[in-house]
Amino acid sequence: MIRAFLVWLQTALGKGAGDTAQSWSEALLGSLNFWGLLEGSHLIGLMLFAGTILIVDLRLLGVTFRRTPVSVVSDTILPLTIFGFIFVVITGMGLFFAKPLFYYHNIWFRVKMIMLAIALINILVFHSRIQRTQGSWDSDALPPAGARTAAALSLSAWLVVITFGRLIAYDWFECGKPQPAFINWAEECKVSEKGAVALSGAHP
Amino acid sequence: MNFRRFILPTMIATGLLAAATLGVQQASAHHAFAAEFDGKSPVLLRGKVTKIEWINPHAWVHVNVVEGAKETEWMVEGGTPNTLLRAGIDRNSLKPGTEIVVRGYQSKDKACTPICKANGRDVTFPDGRKLFMGSSGTGAPKDGADATEAPK
Repeated sequence: MIRAFLVWLQTALGKGAGDTAQSWSEALLGSLNFWGLLEGSHLIGLMLFAGTILIVDLRLLGVTFRRTPVSVVSDTILPLTIFGFIFVVITGMGLFFAKPLFYYHNIWFRVKMIMLAIALINILVFHSRIQRTQGSWDSDALPPAGARTAAALSLSAWLVVITFGRLIAYDWFECGKPQPAFINWAEECKVSEKGAVALSGAHP
Repeated sequence: MNFRRFILPTMIATGLLAAATLGVQQASAHHAFAAEFDGKSPVLLRGKVTKIEWINPHAWVHVNVVEGAKETEWMVEGGTPNTLLRAGIDRNSLKPGTEIVVRGYQSKDKACTPICKANGRDVTFPDGRKLFMGSSGTGAPKDGADATEAPK
């Protein structure tokens, strides 16, 4: 059902009459300047987002700004992080809109989305549980283990999200290539346009 | 002054800096080219354009290469639609059916499944015009195709 929606999004939405008519998604993908602008903005926004969250996470790990209370660091920096995140999500959705089916069947993108979900759940847990006791350790140079765990998880998850986002550009595991069964399964290649091709010698 | 608490941040900073330096070197030496294409496998493809995908970040020119009785379908990676337009290649100059000669490098993956892939360097049109169709600074071999780059 998700795939059917993405097919519509990619090929039908905004499409006019005539043989050469393009959907909005196709027009964006073929644009002379706009796609590049989106991609560039996505990366610049990413620097703001990842750079600021790094500072907050390192404070929670007891590495940086150890004499500054956690609340001072996060109240100063987190608004920038939130702005960066909104910016990255909007430009990211724009880039996704340019080729929905490509991303849908892309293993890097799928892992990226899973890590993104883990990172967001981590934020929820941090705010709803760990931060409740913040008053008692706000000024500690080394916050308690729970806060440090959340910070370490956050750092690792965002690093994976960024790395896998970069790897989407490489075609090593594209559907239609002969590849191991678990990759074909993880990318749902069978229902993709290129289909699932087993490694030679392996059972289909 | 207690220097001990600077040890960990310094180590992390040094590590990040080293990683970034390595990453930059890697990028300037290879970038996208070496990840997917083989600079030691030059190809010369002669045939008719069957389809063009004018898409970001790379346009793809599909060429039906005929060698004797054998027909092979190739897809050749070019620059962005913007880069190609500025190089003088557009929808009108590269229509399906145009007989072209493309010089480039085959993908590392030579299985040709589902289709043979190559990175295009320059394209020669029926009227003899030869234009650079790639992107600069990708780390592709310095073969003289790119006029902006100093020859070896």
